[in-house]
Amino acid sequence: MLAYPLIAGVLFGLYFSLLGIGLNLVFGVMRIVNLAHGDFLMLGAFVAFGVFYLLGLDPLLAVPLAFVLFVIVGIVLYGLLVPRLQQSRDPEMLSIILFFGLSQVIEALVTIAFGTSERSIPSRELGSLMTAAAKALGAKPEGGPVDILGQSFPAAWVISAVVSVIAIGLVYVYLYRTRLGTLTRAVMSRRDEAFATGINVDRVCAAAFGIGLGLAAIAGVFAPFMFGSVTPAFGADATVTAFVIVVLGSLGNPLGTALGGIVYGICYMLVQTFLSSWADLLPYVLLIVVLLLRPSGLLGRKVRVA
Amino acid sequence: MLRKAITAFGLGAVMGMALASPVLAADAPAEIKLGTLYASSGRYASISMPVHAGLKLWVEQKNAEGGVYVKAFDKKIPIKLVAYDDQSNTATASTLYNQLITQDKVDLFVADSGSVLTAPAVTIARDHKMFLFDQTGTGGSFFSKDNPYIALMSDPVSTIWPKPIADFLTKDGPALGIKRVAILYSTNEFTGTQANSLRKFIKDANAPIEIVYDQGVPTETTNYTVILNNIRAAKPDAVIHLGYAPNDIAFLRNVQDVGIKFNMLFCIYPGLETELLEKNVGAKGLQHVFTYVPPSEMAYPVNFGMNIADYKKAWDKKYADGKIEFGFNAVAGYTTALVIEKTLSVATSLDQMELRKAVFSLSGNLKTLDGTFALDETGGQIGELTPLGQLELNDHGHIKFVAIYPHEVATGKPVYPKP
Repeated sequence: MLAYPLIAGVLFGLYFSLLGIGLNLVFGVMRIVNLAHGDFLMLGAFVAFGVFYLLGLDPLLAVPLAFVLFVIVGIVLYGLLVPRLQQSRDPEMLSIILFFGLSQVIEALVTIAFGTSERSIPSRELGSLMTAAAKALGAKPEGGPVDILGQSFPAAWVISAVVSVIAIGLVYVYLYRTRLGTLTRAVMSRRDEAFATGINVDRVCAAAFGIGLGLAAIAGVFAPFMFGSVTPAFGADATVTAFVIVVLGSLGNPLGTALGGIVYGICYMLVQTFLSSWADLLPYVLLIVVLLLRPSGLLGRKVRVA
Repeated sequence: MLRKAITAFGLGAVMGMALASPVLAADAPAEIKLGTLYASSGRYASISMPVHAGLKLWVEQKNAEGGVYVKAFDKKIPIKLVAYDDQSNTATASTLYNQLITQDKVDLFVADSGSVLTAPAVTIARDHKMFLFDQTGTGGSFFSKDNPYIALMSDPVSTIWPKPIADFLTKDGPALGIKRVAILYSTNEFTGTQANSLRKFIKDANAPIEIVYDQGVPTETTNYTVILNNIRAAKPDAVIHLGYAPNDIAFLRNVQDVGIKFNMLFCIYPGLETELLEKNVGAKGLQHVFTYVPPSEMAYPVNFGMNIADYKKAWDKKYADGKIEFGFNAVAGYTTALVIEKTLSVATSLDQMELRKAVFSLSGNLKTLDGTFALDETGGQIGELTPLGQLELNDHGHIKFVAIYPHEVATGKPVYPKP
């Protein structure tokens, strides 16, 4: 009875981590709350729809495409919005209003363009390229669910969990093994001091903003498989979930989000198993509990200072 | 003297008749204001937009003909559609419903689609003594003997929706080998009421049927994998899932993804919004699923308005871009419009209680593409019933409906257990 929700929680939790990590990166670097985060996730799903329905390709190929596309979008958007925002007296508060407006605009434009109906992609199509390649090499890959410790789970969950681990790993490499990452951490730690030492803060922030949106778009590619379907209104719920995961892990610490996502995933699956009617209360209950007991999040101060 | 008396009597009679007549044609308004809400975004957009599109199609059609005939003024008057977007938000809906009544002063008050967005309108209509044309808000609690300000237009009240399912399970089920039933429902007025009724019908039937799983989940649920695992552990012969379209999409996709096979699986929306479900779940994922049979599959004879074939043609012409699916809700919006049109043609004034009287006078007599319009004393819809059916694939791999229960409308036998 417990094994299934625990394994499901870890798999889904890894995806939740991917859902939140971009939001946390943007907040950590710029101290702005991107309330349109979920809408970029939704746009990522529409990139996957385009790759599958227009080009007839494996939706997994939408992952690099969505990432590159939204890194560029992020850098452009940063140039248009954020420097002006940073000049204001209270950029953190104003960012909430600005990005809420942006969220509404994105949702409205996508609704006008594509309508309000639910959209999805057949689950078997995710990873179809890998299946075809394996067949070409003489292997006999079995479609359908994947068995883990005697329990069967949707293949899409496993694929998204693997991609999430890779994405989180790459964020780690970016932050701790590249020069730009070192500069990013410097800005996250002390923005003023970073500026005073000659770091091009705007360039660092633009890159972080772009990567944040790119990660959201990658999460969006998997959204039709993880949530059944996606509509233009999907963004608002996704932003709330991402925000809870970020606070749970540690606001401002992107890697804390990985832990936050897994904890959230396990809690969600356990609540669905034993108290299913109350499952939608979970984000808010977790938010209150974390803010009361450990306001800095599960991986709070310790990692941030390091 | 006699001539004077006759003249005076004649003049008096003419004046009396003029005064007795509710309103002179010359006093007729330039337009009849029909106020409603729709959700262009959010969770209920996919059930709201088709309803609104159906209503709008009728308004445009009638206005092109010079308006609708209004008996109260004995002339055709154009309809002005005053519609606001509630974005699937009940708080926004409450504000906008109030605005329709107090600011826009609409003549006809029409709710948004679905029980969740209709709920605020029920209270507001009652408070303002406005008669509510409830399109598809089927929640059982909306209808009571002490509330004369509501009638359900386009689908049966939730309390009687699951009757064919319960009858099939309790009467035909045991012979087929159905003994253990699982019920999973979304906790909202529409599906929660259906779950309560289903439970009651099964228990009252005293049939050898045991409910082995009975759980509610939030309407916002988009992932059912863990829940499916729990249902499987209860070893049911039949699984009844009662949810909205996004719930059904997620549920049926998860059933496929996890590779679970239930001998009998019922969902609401594969029947009501077949195009939408087929697009998201695929024809194979819907094969052998039990569902409600929509009016579009029953081709009811009509005595008012377009029949289903003509309506589909008009719909395809107007909404050629395919952004709004044609299904049960598209029919519901047009059905509401037909009831309104017929009501205006018999009501002697636009007084709200007179409108109610006119709507109730149609009960049992009005036959639209949605079936026979029939109301109980509380305003709940008891006609327009939805039989139980099963989805099968035809030779070309396309979805087709097989009506299963009641037997008098059946077009085939159930496939049980699922192969």
